[in-house]
Amino acid sequence: MRTDLEHVGKRYGDTRALADVTISLSEEDQVVVLIGPSGGGKSTLLRLLGGLETADEGALSRNGIEFPRTEPELREFRRQNGFLFQAFNLFPHLSALENIVLPLVEVHHWERNAAHARAEEVVERFGMKAHLSKRPAEMSGGQQQRIALARAMAHSPATLLLDEPTSALDPEMKAEVLDLIEDLCRSGQRIVLSTHEMGFARQCADTVVFLSGGRVEECGPAKDVFDHPCSETVRQFLSKVMKW
Amino acid sequence: MWKSAFSYFISLCLLASFCFVLWVVVSHDYHWEAITPYRANLLSGWLTTLWLSTAALVLSIIIGALLTAGQLSGQRASSLLCRIYIEGIRGTPLLTQILIGYYLVANAVGWDSRLGVGIVVLSCFSAAYLAEIFRAGIESIPQSQWLSARAIGFSEAQTYRFVVIPQAVRRILPAAAGQFANLIKDSSLLFVISVQEFTMQAREANANTYATFEAYLPLILGYFILTFPISLLSRHLEDRFHYED
Ligand SMILES: Nc1ncnc2c1ncn2[C@@H]1O[C@H](COP(=O)(O)OP(=O)(O)OP(=O)(O)O)[C@@H](O)[C@H]1O
Ligand SMILES: [Mg+2]
Repeated sequence: MRTDLEHVGKRYGDTRALADVTISLSEEDQVVVLIGPSGGGKSTLLRLLGGLETADEGALSRNGIEFPRTEPELREFRRQNGFLFQAFNLFPHLSALENIVLPLVEVHHWERNAAHARAEEVVERFGMKAHLSKRPAEMSGGQQQRIALARAMAHSPATLLLDEPTSALDPEMKAEVLDLIEDLCRSGQRIVLSTHEMGFARQCADTVVFLSGGRVEECGPAKDVFDHPCSETVRQFLSKVMKW
Repeated sequence: MWKSAFSYFISLCLLASFCFVLWVVVSHDYHWEAITPYRANLLSGWLTTLWLSTAALVLSIIIGALLTAGQLSGQRASSLLCRIYIEGIRGTPLLTQILIGYYLVANAVGWDSRLGVGIVVLSCFSAAYLAEIFRAGIESIPQSQWLSARAIGFSEAQTYRFVVIPQAVRRILPAAAGQFANLIKDSSLLFVISVQEFTMQAREANANTYATFEAYLPLILGYFILTFPISLLSRHLEDRFHYED
């Protein structure tokens, strides 16, 4: 699957969240990691890639076909992806199991029994089987995020889009969730994720996109970006965040 | 320490005042035989109140939900109209609304059922309050829930059905139950168009016998029997829909 962005721009009122973003992601770019300073445009780019919002300028295409622009088409498009946000993802009135089953049944038209079986399978893999009947408030942040990840990938999405999946977690929970994501990367799942975890980015990314001020400062294989950054901005950012 | 002493004091005051009122009420010299002939009337009035309140309750939920939908529709004209309606109803006395509804509006369309008009006016009145309660409940659901639902691929209707309304219900219940109790008590104002409801029957019994307390005291019990189950039901539903945020 190819994804091409040409001169993509996005504004929120007077803020230019993205400007002139041109990147090409090929079949080989299975794990794409977005890094960069806060406010750089990572979340915005993820929302565009996931069909949660549409670009104001430029064109996005997948396998040569333009991204949809009308709400019903966008909804169909979103259903092919899985999305995970920083926090507060799950529906608090539903158990972990129901959180996973509901979209399978209502959005993807699975049989209830099949959906249950699938939910249990995914959750088992994530080591969360004991918590299936709990509501989100009864789980730790790390457990909630693992259930949210299970929900995002239960329908085998073409692409998983993860927006800072571990930022709201303490170090131990962070590691738990990153381990899972690493597993998913290994298993061949296409993933685009934004993160401030440079170690993780370096280890798992096929391609790293560095966004700053809404522009792509650098884009390339993880090794190149981390070891030989071309841009001065990237170099400064990396030396700052790698210091600790 | 001070806090518990204070709450102890408050409880004591409440208990003392309650006993005092009870004693005053009970120790009055009653002549129940004076209103015995009106027992059947009072009962039929109570049944009328029960029936008209139930009908108005159901109708007011429907109208209230429509008003909320109109307000949240995102269409400027409809949300403005709903706002005007709600403010108009909430800002004016029910008594005049009943009079206008029956003598002007119903008369103009040739509808002559006092009970029917009473139910409709009461529903329209209560719906304005319910609409605000519903809207506040729905708007209290955080934006992140909408975003999650969108990301999953839910349509707007599915988002309301599976995410927003189930969460809003619990927040809406206490206020809505209060409004339902108000509706039942407000139905006594329908005497102005001579609906033969509970309070109306008590007024007549009083007018004919001058046994004021004997005529009006049954209202306490009668209305309480109607409002208390709503309170209980609301508590029960709150427990059922309970979850930690
Ligand atoms: N819904 C919005 N309304 C207004 N401005 C927004 C909105 N979303 C993003 N922005 C602005 O767009 C710019 C890019 O934001 P974005 O959230 O994409 O950055 P980010 O790289 O994800 O940052 P962070 O690392 O802090 O999450 C910021 O200046 C932000 O203030
Ligand atoms: Mg972000």
